Amino acid sequence: MIRLWIIALIFVSSMSLAAQNSYEFDSEAQRESFNRLTAVLRCPMCQNQNIADSDAMIAHDMRRKVHQLLQKGKTEAEIIAYMKARYGDFVYYEPPVTLGTIWLWLIPLIFIACASIIVVKRRKPQVSPDMAEKLARADEILKQDKS
Amino acid sequence: MKKSWLVIVPVILFILVAAFLYSGLSSDPRQLDSQITGRPFPEFSLPDLMEPDKNYTQAALEGEVTIINVWGVWCVTCAVEMPYLTHLKETQGVRFLGLYFDQDLDPDNGTKTLNRVQQEVTDLLSRYGNPYAFNIFDVYRDTSLDLGVTGAPEHFVIDREGVVRMHHVGDINERVWENKIGPMYHRLSGQNAQSSEGAGR
Repeated sequence: MIRLWIIALIFVSSMSLAAQNSYEFDSEAQRESFNRLTAVLRCPMCQNQNIADSDAMIAHDMRRKVHQLLQKGKTEAEIIAYMKARYGDFVYYEPPVTLGTIWLWLIPLIFIACASIIVVKRRKPQVSPDMAEKLARADEILKQDKS
Repeated sequence: MKKSWLVIVPVILFILVAAFLYSGLSSDPRQLDSQITGRPFPEFSLPDLMEPDKNYTQAALEGEVTIINVWGVWCVTCAVEMPYLTHLKETQGVRFLGLYFDQDLDPDNGTKTLNRVQQEVTDLLSRYGNPYAFNIFDVYRDTSLDLGVTGAPEHFVIDREGVVRMHHVGDINERVWENKIGPMYHRLSGQNAQSSEGAGR
């Protein structure tokens, strides 16, 4: 029984491998570009899957397009720009820095800055002038005792 | 003085965060900003679905306000909206063009013959009504990709100069037509009629 399962698993996994490898590439570098691009491009139909991972029709079509553009000699940056021109910034897993998105980086930094200011301020030993006077008097008394 | 400041700042922060999160409740994560709106319809050269010898380019869209309907027989919502689209065509003379693409037809190793696709389309249109002036067959789904289509049905309102003026994801029903697409369609056809009249004088 277990053996049957293993055979079935091998069959299924080799099928998915076959689906991935159905594209032919001119060079190993091009294959690597393809793998990198399909990993960083997001499927517009799915909520959080890259196009390498998704089985949606649009992901199939985008993989085919990426392959086609690579064969035409386009660079990775050009292909990302090509997809962004059609599906917007959503399609790329690295958001651009704009006035709207800069807060993704700034808010944590502002939070850290504010928090450290508060922590540093609180740590200051609070010696009131009143207390300083009392300490001085205590010192005097101690000195008198000793002598 | 210092104490009131300590109270006001957290309260303001809380209100800002609450407002931000509240607006997120009603936003649709699937809704993407259309990139094509305001730009000319992408160049294409595609055959007629029913008469593959006939070829269309983007020039076929110019001269009249057109609504492009991206659809396929495999799409249930497309069949549901078909009677209403037909009604719009018959009562208001709206020009619908179909941009047809087939889901089962893998361009690299096709499993369906064109004849079968045509048969399925004819069957469906005879059952639900045919709103289309004609259907453009997006064989490789390239034009859909250029338009930023993610599924079906999707609609594009094209003005007389062939510029995309609206991208609507989802079906057209009475509510959508009355509130969103209809006003845009009528404004475009009215505007263009006026400007061409003005040019004629």
